[in-house]
Amino acid sequence: MEHSPVTTNPLIIMLINMTVVFIVLVALIYLIKLIHFFDPTKEKPKPEVAEEDEPLVAVKSSSPAPVAPAVEEGINPEVIAAISAAIAAYGFAGQVKAVHILNHEGTPWRASAKFNNLQRK
Amino acid sequence: MEALNAFSVSLQAVWNDSGFSAFTMGNGIMILVGLVLLYMAFVKEFEPLLLGPIAFGCILANFPNTGFFGEEMNVMKAINYGITYEIFPPLIFLGIGAMTDFSPLLARPSTLLLGAAAQIGVFVALGGAMLVGFDVHEAAAIGIIGGADGPTSIYLSTKLAPHLLGAIAVAAYSYMSLVPLIQPPIMKLMTTQKEREIVMKELRPVTKFERVVFPIVSTIFISLLLPPIAALLGCLMLGNLFRESGVTDRLSDTAQNALINIVTIFLGTGTGMTMSAESFLRTDTLLIIGLGLVAFMGGTAGGLIFGKIMCKFTGGAINPLIGSAGVSAVPMAARVSQLVGMKAKPGNYLLMHAMGPNVAGVIGTAVAAGTMLAMLK
Repeated sequence: MEHSPVTTNPLIIMLINMTVVFIVLVALIYLIKLIHFFDPTKEKPKPEVAEEDEPLVAVKSSSPAPVAPAVEEGINPEVIAAISAAIAAYGFAGQVKAVHILNHEGTPWRASAKFNNLQRK
Repeated sequence: MEALNAFSVSLQAVWNDSGFSAFTMGNGIMILVGLVLLYMAFVKEFEPLLLGPIAFGCILANFPNTGFFGEEMNVMKAINYGITYEIFPPLIFLGIGAMTDFSPLLARPSTLLLGAAAQIGVFVALGGAMLVGFDVHEAAAIGIIGGADGPTSIYLSTKLAPHLLGAIAVAAYSYMSLVPLIQPPIMKLMTTQKEREIVMKELRPVTKFERVVFPIVSTIFISLLLPPIAALLGCLMLGNLFRESGVTDRLSDTAQNALINIVTIFLGTGTGMTMSAESFLRTDTLLIIGLGLVAFMGGTAGGLIFGKIMCKFTGGAINPLIGSAGVSAVPMAARVSQLVGMKAKPGNYLLMHAMGPNVAGVIGTAVAAGTMLAMLK
C-alpha cells in the first residue's frame, strides 16, 4: 500500500537510513557469532602441549623485506595478484619471487612430463 | 495508369510505415549514444556483459514505429515486463549468490561495518539530488547508484522513479566499470603509506555448517525486518545456499552460469529499451550522471574513513584499504584494494580480507534500498 513519505528532509532520511543499515548489519554480526558459537562441527581448541613433550628449538627468523616479484612482460598485475592470493589462501607464508609464462608449445608427452615433475616435488 | 497509381500509393504507405518518416534528431543522438556505449563495452571492455545489451537496447528503442510498446504483446514488451515487475534484478541476485563465497565475511564479521559505512555515499547523493531539484523519490533512486550495485539500482528506480531508470542504470554500470580508475586516487589521498602497508592476520577457517546456516538465518532475519527487499535478499541467499549445500551442484551451476547469463541479456536489453530520446535527452540525465559520481566517491570515502577508525580501534590490525571495498561492485572493488595494497607493499595479500566488506556492501546496499522503500513508498 502506498503512502506519503514519512519525511522529505534529506538529513533526517540519511540519519534514519544509516542508523537502520548499521543496526541491521551489527545484528548480522551477532547472528554470525551466534552461528559460530553453536556450530557443532567447529574444531575444539587444542589443549596446550606440555613444555617437556617437545623441546623448544630456537628458530632464527630471517624474513627479508618484501620485494616485488620479477614478472615477465605481458602479465597483467591482476593475474599476479590472483596468483599471490591463491598461494596465500593455501597457507604458504612465503612471497612470490618470480612469475613466468610457461611455454605451452610442445607435445602432450612433454606437458605430461612437466606435470609429473611438479607432482614429484 | 492504375498500376502506377497503386505503385505510388504502396510506396507512400511503405514510407509512412517506415522509421525514416518519423525519425527525429533525438533518435539520431540516442543511436549515437548507443554506438558510443557499444564501443565502450566491446572495444574498451567496460562491463561488456551488461553495457553491451544496454547499448543495443538503446539503439533499438530509438527506431520509430516499431510498436515495441504498443497494444500487442511482443518479445520486447515481454522483456520490459521483466523490469517493470521487478523480475530480473532478483534473478540476477540468485546468480550472484551462487557465485559468491561468504567465507571471508563469516571469518571476520566485523567487516560488515565497512559495508554499512560505505552506504554514506548513497545519502550524500540523495541530499545533493534534492538540492538540485529532484523530488525525494527520484533522489533516493539516484542515491542508490553510490551502492555500486546494478540490480539494486534498477530495482529501486523501478519502484521509486521508473522514468529515470535508463539514466540511473547507465550511470550505475558505467561507474562500476570505472572502479579501478575512480577508487585508487581517493584511497591514496585518504590513507598514509604506513596504513596501506598493514599486513592483516590470516582469516580463520569457516565450517560448512556456518556457510549453510548463514544464508538461511540472515534471510529470515532481514526479510522479516525489511519485507520490501525479501525478493532481492532471498534470491541472493537461495543462490548461495545452492552453492554451499553441496547437494545441489546442478542448481548452483545453472544459477551462476546459464540463468544469470540469460537474465543479464534480458535485463541489459530491457534497460537499454528505456533509453528513448524523449526520456533520456534531458538535463536531468547529466545531473544523474554527475550525482552518481558523487555517490560513488562518497561511498568509497565513507568505507575508507570507517576502515581508518577500525584500524585505530584494533591497534593497526585492519588495513583501511579494505574499507573502499564496502561499495558493492563485486569483486572489482576488492581487487582494487588488493592492487593498491600490493603497490604499497609487495607481497601484501588483501584480496580475501577485502571480500568481506565487498559482500557486506551488497547486503548493505540492499538494506539501504529496503529502508528507503519502507520510508518513501
